[in-house]
Amino acid sequence: MHSDPTDLIHRAQQGDRAAFEALYRAHAGRVYALCLRLTADRAQAEERTQDAFVRAWERLATFRGESAFSSWLYRLTVNEVLLGRRSERRREQRIVTTADPAALERPPGAEPASGGALDLERAVAALPPGAREVFVLHDLEGYRHEEIAALAGIAVGTSKAQLFRARRLLREALNR
Amino acid sequence: MTGPHMDAQLNEYVDGTLAARDRASVDAHLAECAECRAAVAQLRSLAAAAANLPKSIEPARDLWEAIDQRIRHRATGNVRRVSRRALAAAAVLIIALRLYRLLSPSTAHYPPAGQGWAAVQADFDRASDQLSGILAVERERSRPETVALVERNLAIIDAAIAESRAALARDPASAELRRLFAAAARQKVELLRWAARVAAS
Repeated sequence: MHSDPTDLIHRAQQGDRAAFEALYRAHAGRVYALCLRLTADRAQAEERTQDAFVRAWERLATFRGESAFSSWLYRLTVNEVLLGRRSERRREQRIVTTADPAALERPPGAEPASGGALDLERAVAALPPGAREVFVLHDLEGYRHEEIAALAGIAVGTSKAQLFRARRLLREALNR
Repeated sequence: MTGPHMDAQLNEYVDGTLAARDRASVDAHLAECAECRAAVAQLRSLAAAAANLPKSIEPARDLWEAIDQRIRHRATGNVRRVSRRALAAAAVLIIALRLYRLLSPSTAHYPPAGQGWAAVQADFDRASDQLSGILAVERERSRPETVALVERNLAIIDAAIAESRAALARDPASAELRRLFAAAARQKVELLRWAARVAAS
C-alpha cells in the first residue's frame, strides 16, 4: 500500500504512531546504513537507529517541510551518532592512551581487502573513527566540509585533512 | 612525487574545489607526472565506488517494536507540548475563578446548602481532575523524585479537602468551613500549577 508521505508526516505530527511506523518502514534501511557506516558496529548501529527515530518522533513538530523529510531525518541521525561519538570519545580520552599512534591507523581485526564493493565497505569500517565519519558524510552522503565541521564540532581544515587521510588509507587498503 | 601538499591539491582537484589558477597549475603538473596521474585516477575510481555503494541496508532485526515502546508515552514535540501547556493554564484559570467565587464577598449570594454550593464544588472537581489528567500524561517527562513529591503533597491536600468537605456536608452554613475548604483547594491549585510548570519546562 502506498501512502502519501506528506499525509503520513502530518498524521504522525498529530501523534499517530501507525503513520510514524510507516515512515520508519520507508526510511529504516537508509538510516541504519548511515548509522552502520558511521559507527562500523552492528549493535551500535541498531541502537543509534532507534535513538534517531525516537528523537525524530520527539521533534516532529519542528519539521516544517522546508526541506525533504528524508534530509531532515538523516541530518538528525548524523547528529545523534556524532553526539554519541563525541561523548564516547571524551570517555575514551580519559581512559585510553597509546604510545603507538600507527596502531590507531589499522585497528586490530581489520579484514584484508581484495577489491569490490564489499571490500570497500570493510576498508571504510576499518578506518580510524574520525576519518571514517568524514569520508562517509562527504563522499557517501554528499555533505560539504562546512556542514561536517558544524555537525562534528571540528574545524573545516580538520574535516578536509580527515577526508584526505581516509582516502589515502582506503587507496592503500584496496591496492594491497 | 605525491607528498602531503600535493596529496591535498590532488584531492581538491578531484573534488573540483581548487581555484582556477591552482587547477591550471595541477593540470600542468599532471601532464608531466605519471605518479600523480595514477593518484588522480585512483581517487576518481574511489569516488565512483563510494557513490555506487548501496544507500540502504536493512537491519538484521526489526527495530520498530523497541522504538514503539520508547515513543508510546512521549509527545511528538512542541505542538502537543504547547497545547498541553495551554490546557494546563486554562485548567488553572478555571480553578482560580471557582476559588474567587468561593472566597469573594459575593459568596453570601450562594445559598448555604443545595445546588449553588454543590455546583461550585463540582466545577472545582472537574477542573482539578482535568489538570491532574494533564499531569498524568506529562508524568513521563518529569523526574521520578518530582513525581513522588507531587503525589505525596497531593495526598495530604486531598485528605484536607475531603475532611473539610465532609464537615461542610454536616454544617453547610459554616463560613469557617468554607474558608478551610477554599484554602486547601488553593493549595492544590498552587501545587498543580507548579507541577505543570516543571513538567513543561
